[in-house]
Amino acid sequence: MHQQGVGDFQYYVGISSLSQIATAQDKVCVLNILGGESSEVTPVGHAWSGGNVVFGTSPGRRGQTLDTPCGPIPVFNSVREGLEAGHRFNCGVVYLPPTAARDGVAELIRVNPELKKIFIITEKIAVHDAREIRAMGQQAGIDIFGANCLGVADAWNQVRIGGALGGDSPGDTLKRGSIAILSNSGGFTTTIAQYLRMAGWGTTTLVSSGKDIYIHYAAPEFAFALANDARSKAAVLYCEPGGYYERDADFTKPVVACVVGRWKAKLTRAVGHAGAMAGGHDDALSKERWFMEKFDVDALYTPENPVFSAKGAVVTNIAHIPAALTAVMRANATLPDFAPEGTMELKPWFGANQGIKLPTALDLPVVEAVAPHNLHIAELARSVGTVFARQNMKDASGASQMDPRTQLSSLHGVSMLDAAQKPLEANLALALLHEAGGPNDHALINLSVMALTGLHGTAMLAAAQAAREAGNAPNSVLAAAVSIVGPRTAEPAQRAAALLIDLFSTAGLEDACDQDADCSGITLTPAARTLLFATEPDPLAGAMIDAAHTRGIRSVPLTWLIAQAGHPSADAVLAALTTTLGWGPLRRKRVSRLSVEALPWWMRLVGTQLGASVDATQHTADSFCGIAHAELLGARSITDVAALALTGRQLGSKDLFAFQTLTGLLLTNGPGAISAQGAKGAVSADGPETPSRVQLNKAVVGFLTHTGFAHGGNGFEGVAFLLERFAGQDLTDPGNPDHGLDLPAMINTFINDYAAERSAGKETGAGSRNLPCINHPVFKGKPVNVDPREKFVRELFAARGEYNIFHDYYRQLVQALFDRGVTRNVFCVNVDALIATLLLKMMWQPLQAGRLSTAQMETAAFTAFLYGRMIGCAGEIDDHLNRGRNMDTRTPQSQVRFVA
Amino acid sequence: MQITGMLHGSKLLEFVGFPSAEVLGPDASEEAIKAMIERHGSVFVKPVFKGGVGKKGKAGLLGRAKDLKTALAEKERLYFVEHHHGNQSAKANGVTFEGAVPAEHEIYFSLSVSTEFRAPTLTITHCGGVDIEELDPTLIARVPFDALTGMKAFVVANALADIGAPSEIISPLVQQLPKLWELYHNFGMTVLELNPIRMRPDRRGRLTPVACDFKCGFDRDDSRWHRLNLPPHLFAADYSDFEQEINQLRTHQGQSDVYVINDKGTILAPTFGGGANSLVTEMLGDDAIISSDFGGNPPYEKMKSVASICFRHWLAQSNVLFIIGGKSNNTDIFETFRAMADALREHISEHGPTPLFVVIGRGGPNLVRGMAAFRDTCEALGLPYRFFGYDTAMSEVVDYAREVNEWMKAGGRQEIAAKLGVGTQSEAA
Repeated sequence: MHQQGVGDFQYYVGISSLSQIATAQDKVCVLNILGGESSEVTPVGHAWSGGNVVFGTSPGRRGQTLDTPCGPIPVFNSVREGLEAGHRFNCGVVYLPPTAARDGVAELIRVNPELKKIFIITEKIAVHDAREIRAMGQQAGIDIFGANCLGVADAWNQVRIGGALGGDSPGDTLKRGSIAILSNSGGFTTTIAQYLRMAGWGTTTLVSSGKDIYIHYAAPEFAFALANDARSKAAVLYCEPGGYYERDADFTKPVVACVVGRWKAKLTRAVGHAGAMAGGHDDALSKERWFMEKFDVDALYTPENPVFSAKGAVVTNIAHIPAALTAVMRANATLPDFAPEGTMELKPWFGANQGIKLPTALDLPVVEAVAPHNLHIAELARSVGTVFARQNMKDASGASQMDPRTQLSSLHGVSMLDAAQKPLEANLALALLHEAGGPNDHALINLSVMALTGLHGTAMLAAAQAAREAGNAPNSVLAAAVSIVGPRTAEPAQRAAALLIDLFSTAGLEDACDQDADCSGITLTPAARTLLFATEPDPLAGAMIDAAHTRGIRSVPLTWLIAQAGHPSADAVLAALTTTLGWGPLRRKRVSRLSVEALPWWMRLVGTQLGASVDATQHTADSFCGIAHAELLGARSITDVAALALTGRQLGSKDLFAFQTLTGLLLTNGPGAISAQGAKGAVSADGPETPSRVQLNKAVVGFLTHTGFAHGGNGFEGVAFLLERFAGQDLTDPGNPDHGLDLPAMINTFINDYAAERSAGKETGAGSRNLPCINHPVFKGKPVNVDPREKFVRELFAARGEYNIFHDYYRQLVQALFDRGVTRNVFCVNVDALIATLLLKMMWQPLQAGRLSTAQMETAAFTAFLYGRMIGCAGEIDDHLNRGRNMDTRTPQSQVRFVA
Repeated sequence: MQITGMLHGSKLLEFVGFPSAEVLGPDASEEAIKAMIERHGSVFVKPVFKGGVGKKGKAGLLGRAKDLKTALAEKERLYFVEHHHGNQSAKANGVTFEGAVPAEHEIYFSLSVSTEFRAPTLTITHCGGVDIEELDPTLIARVPFDALTGMKAFVVANALADIGAPSEIISPLVQQLPKLWELYHNFGMTVLELNPIRMRPDRRGRLTPVACDFKCGFDRDDSRWHRLNLPPHLFAADYSDFEQEINQLRTHQGQSDVYVINDKGTILAPTFGGGANSLVTEMLGDDAIISSDFGGNPPYEKMKSVASICFRHWLAQSNVLFIIGGKSNNTDIFETFRAMADALREHISEHGPTPLFVVIGRGGPNLVRGMAAFRDTCEALGLPYRFFGYDTAMSEVVDYAREVNEWMKAGGRQEIAAKLGVGTQSEAA
């Protein structure tokens, strides 16, 4: 049952000429216009076609619009609503999912009596639905294109309907000419047009037919419309096995047919295009034969054996289409539409041998890409750094992870055990630049942070002091200071860093430490100068430059900055230092530009936290904790200043090593740790998809507020326990193995007390206290249990010949608890014990001397945790900034619960 | 996605109440077989193949027995028989015993899609039981009909009249055959073939059509056949483990079609677009490991998963990672390349470096950014590479990839391996 259309077909065909397929008069309604594919493709086609889409549908989204370069397209719930709003259209485009496509076709046909054409882009439509679609179109007298196609385009009318022929820039491919294209492959429709253009042939109408079993607009009706299209002098057909469509086409104009897919005769099921599979007499060889008979040729056209007639040629490689077409058209006394635009020979745009000697034939030199891509590649050469894929980063991290089996955390692939052997500045580099760096990098970090640690006279110091005096824990004290280090404080240095990255990447700087690098080509605009130079000499800048010299820092940006006429600002010097620091990882695509631009802010945040962690009295106009600023900038490391801030005294090398081990072990515990969650939540809430809006200082506050007496302060429980045990003992040097104390006796005494307490607890039902720092939920159940982190540190210090009586006490305690039958097996000494024992050993002497109160000791234990985690969370924040999505840490409603 | 034989076919026919020959499965007891022989006079013994295997009768894969001893001998002969037809080969696993249906008339019946008529088409002849290709075309009716009304009784009646079918078979067929449209249309079939349908007389001589063999193909894109609750192992033979893994990612959002061409191949070619798939697979021949179409603008996550699966199965043996497509229309090159590059990086992080040459030919949106992402990955992994834009003919790039593969086989793989400080897999090269 079909309506009577044009021509002598046994089915309905409404289009008599190719010029009618996509016209300037066509008005289009797109079903599922806001779907993923349509929302990308429709705006391009709409704009290129001068605005041919009148409205789209998307149930439940009435009132929304799809923005396009030539204005928004209104969206309605249904076709009926769009018509009721006064819109009229004759073309429907179906972008619905496969199970809904048939119903969409029905809607278009039944609701709009003016409908003439439907273009179905949807792929994987069931054959069941396809035959019903066909029947509906035939009954109603509608031309249907597709399905599983990329629509149609007309280079003369400059109209594209449905799909994406010509890609995101149709004008680049679709140049007005004399050749029509019908292709089973949507991708090849554009590719063939591109190939033709290179050989001097333009196009008229391009039809992507799709390659489902039902091809609704196929070769016979295309041949008919080709004959009636005065613009088209010839056609190119791209065909694959399956279906008898081409056999029944009657061509009256020259045609080059490309038949590909002989190999599919071997298949036992369809691959790729649905209709193309084995069986029947419609395989590739059959199709080649049909066309050869139509064209009166006895062989395929190949460059070596160019067989063709005035009627056409058959090729099996799309690369041969242009030459075959030119030959066929020459036989018709017709020249190409315009001068050829290029050749199709091998032209690599990118290449590298990686030091391997390739044979000459393979060792193709990289050539300049065709416009506009040559400009893109040039632009790319100027861009530096990597870009990370954005994704939901809730409970996920690209920076840290914890191995649930070993409980060992790592940061950017470096295990905490290795990090524990590195100074804080190396771990800060690891966190922010994914590499621990070398001595020059550490000098850069140390100088940058030290320059910003002195807080004398700043609001940060005042806020921290006020918070401290109000009785806050150290995390709240630091948070008060950090809150003030807002975006505006970091902006000048960040802008300077961005400028320096631009300048030196344009100059092609490879190694930012190579003092011989040629920077002579770098010029500054007046506007750029204002980002780097102050009108008056900046004392801090001068101090930093002096300190850089003292430290022997190698920095191309800094050297260049100093060499310019004018007074570099302190922000510019800071930016020069951080840009030098980030340059290697940036060039190696280890980090993003975003991360390197953020470095000045990070230096300020770390400096502020260090500075704010000591009492305000420790800050003077020219010193910090009694160290003159010049020395601070020129010689001190983050590690020793942090140790000084924590303990109030200069530590010896052994204690310093213990301190860095302590902070290294505390860097991270994976993205599930509460502190990391706080940091990530703060980033997520600001919306990392617009990174410039993320307040890094607020993210640090997020980390700080997500630490506390339970999370961060628990090392102190171990300290308190040890203090009780060692109270009244004559211990002067906890590092001396000949301490003279009878540890077994002390332990015995404790166990007696503890056993008595336990049995009393059982009697009264009050239970007994848990012993801090022993046992672990993972490392348990064996006859002798060991926390591998504790074992690592124990062995590390043993190898260094360093002794810790408190550690020794714990080791003996767990054995004695078992020997005395208090525990069922030998409990492990856990990682918390490391914190307690290392800290107590460091603090023992000031404690004994009364220079440190127990409360201060607790603060110190907490602060040590904060120092370590400050670095780890900086890595976490930077990671979330680079990879996260807006509000991605939110818990779905389905996973939260109400508790009555 | 095919079912052949009466073991499962008779159950499908039961759904629509179409009579079929009595059938016993491989586990039938000797008593049951004996009883069947007694009821029907003789039984046919047929091997059970998974999927579609043609021309079994001609290959001697059909046994007939009039006594239990012969039936058991035929069972032994056919139980694990191997069958080769064209490029396909299959091994049986079991036999069926089907009661013989003595009849004067044998009917060939099929429902399929005809691309000539672009409509569902009934093919029928009263001279069935043989290969339909061997018959005089005037004896065969091929009748397209309207998909919305379906194969109604009048369609069958007219078809039989056209070929001059004996009058006694027309009425029973007109009554029974339209049921098969319900089976075909409502359960997602693309083809349904019954050959033969035997016309069994009852005591009064009235004929009843009885299906004596069954073949059908299902449409992978039609979920209606899921309603049949067919055991998944029926289709397992169609897909390798690799293909099944990829198929699990099959959604309407982007293609993900793969076919293992040569599991000993050395070029791993993720291909974009049906046309490119056709061209590239043809040109690569047996060098190709897989034939694939990953076009259709797959999102990052899907592309990464697909690439990860490909790498896990095939990267170790690959000489060339060859990413190839035409000038894409809407596939975002940056997203797809970034996904594949990330998958490559992760794979190598996990499994260690492997000697590989990367060749890419592509065009489309965000092309340069996509190539740059892949370049950075190749640089980071120390892999040599050449990337071509759409101004190089795709076939030239295919030839280049093949030449690289030949060089890799002739020692290039060892050179790259030495540079990366790893050994070469013996299965490659």
